[in-house]
Amino acid sequence: MNAVIEVDGVTRRYRSTTALDAVSVRFEKDVIHGLLGRNGAGKTTLMSMITAQEWPSSGGVRVFGQHPHENEQVLPRICFVREEQQYIDDARASHAFAAAAMAFPRWDQEFAEQLAADFKVPEKTRIKKMSRGQRSAVGVIIGLASRAEVTFFDEPYMGLDAVARQLFYDRLLADYAEHPRTIVLSSHLIDEIAHLIEHVVLLDEGRVVLDEPVEQLRDRAVTLVGRADAVGELTAGRTVLQHEAMGRTARTTVLGGLDDGERRRAGELDLDLLPVSLQQLVVHLTSKAEQHGQSGQREQHERNA
Amino acid sequence: MTVEMASQTASAERATEHRSSSLARVPAAFRLHLVNRQLIWIPLIVFGGAWALSLGIGLWAAQLEPAGSGPDDPVYTGSGQAALWCLAFMAAYSGSHTFPFALALSFSRRVYLLGTLLVFLMIAVCYGLLFGAAAALEEATDGLGMHTYSHALPFLVADGLWVAGLTAAAVALMLMLIGFGATMLYRRFGVVGFWAVLLTLTVLTVVAVLLTVQAVGWDGFWGWFGRQTPLSAAGWSGLVAVVMAGVDYGLIRRATP
Repeated sequence: MNAVIEVDGVTRRYRSTTALDAVSVRFEKDVIHGLLGRNGAGKTTLMSMITAQEWPSSGGVRVFGQHPHENEQVLPRICFVREEQQYIDDARASHAFAAAAMAFPRWDQEFAEQLAADFKVPEKTRIKKMSRGQRSAVGVIIGLASRAEVTFFDEPYMGLDAVARQLFYDRLLADYAEHPRTIVLSSHLIDEIAHLIEHVVLLDEGRVVLDEPVEQLRDRAVTLVGRADAVGELTAGRTVLQHEAMGRTARTTVLGGLDDGERRRAGELDLDLLPVSLQQLVVHLTSKAEQHGQSGQREQHERNA
Repeated sequence: MTVEMASQTASAERATEHRSSSLARVPAAFRLHLVNRQLIWIPLIVFGGAWALSLGIGLWAAQLEPAGSGPDDPVYTGSGQAALWCLAFMAAYSGSHTFPFALALSFSRRVYLLGTLLVFLMIAVCYGLLFGAAAALEEATDGLGMHTYSHALPFLVADGLWVAGLTAAAVALMLMLIGFGATMLYRRFGVVGFWAVLLTLTVLTVVAVLLTVQAVGWDGFWGWFGRQTPLSAAGWSGLVAVVMAGVDYGLIRRATP
């Protein structure tokens, strides 16, 4: 594997909080990564460190094998448009694209114009007067048309409606297929981007709690559906992520995969085995802390859910 | 993928593999400030507006004088400096709006600052030329026929119009870099840090003035200012501008969007 971004033991402290706590992670070349985590988990801080917009309190970041801070050999190859990006006052989208065209060596103006038409970005409206979704679209277009070798999308879907989000996913995949590059998508809408991403990095309270290819995650948990007593037989003693009971039928999600014997038994008991969504896994993995504190309440809540 | 697209991709890859100059994107950073040209036309409006206003006041004052009351004394106004304060403000404003976007465009802070310095230098030179031209016009027409001088002020034109223009340019550059520095100071240290630094600087200045006065007396202190020429004023302004450029880089290196 060929890592283009190497983050080694990065800690970032602000006055009273630790935004990142000894984070070590690698992002591979030409792979679409999902950077997931709750609000305040440290996603934007991590992206800011990698793009040299901020710097670590300790630890090191390397992009293309070099330190990115003030490094013009590295920076033109990176694009990071923030979630609430501030643009030049009174600038229109075309102004922002013109500035981006000068900044990014691989910029594709035709692609930018096509995207602006697809997303219906108004030509004459100043960016600060645009709706939230239109502003997000401007950021998304800069990210896509920059064709930067390392591109970050920070909650790119904010304010975008379902049609526009789908358009973004479609264009991203199509352009990625033609121009493979390293993409890092930070998002809350985990299930919506699950089919896009090949690798997941999950942050929780400034720490990496998961760093795995999406393929491997599928074996991390399983959902069993069927007769309540049969489900109970196979899930006894396991960590239950979610449990729903409807009359005599139960639907239980447990951590860990089933071995061959258990799968055979599930077949005999006429149970359906369903893969667990990325979102469910993430919710479980990022709520461990609360689980410890309020396990009783949580189980109750899950049973009611 | 079409042949054309393939060749575009290949050339783009070559471009990025090739080690490019660290200053290659300075022109792009320069043009970032001129995306909407506010930095140019707003000071121009202030320049023209303030001049027109001072001429109007001059005209009004002339009409108050009883007719045939002897030769008119020339009227000197300070409206030439209005554009200077506008430039200082616009430099601060431009810094606050272009800096976050410059980081999104992955400019290094150094490249962004170099582009900014070049824009400010260009504007300062334009302001100096405009100031010199306005002074020349006032000299040639006896204050536009109204004896009202806003640019051809006795101190400034003492060594000629070119020196007056140079002084105006140097002062403009200095004020723009101070304005820009104020924005970066705020970005770097936040609002509390901004005022803490400003208060500290004020206290240090007052102490320095008092110590100087203690040593040379008020006459010596003011006398130093009285001995300055337009050229030395340009020199001092230029010196402060150079120092501010260094200070600005120190601030921007660790400023966050």
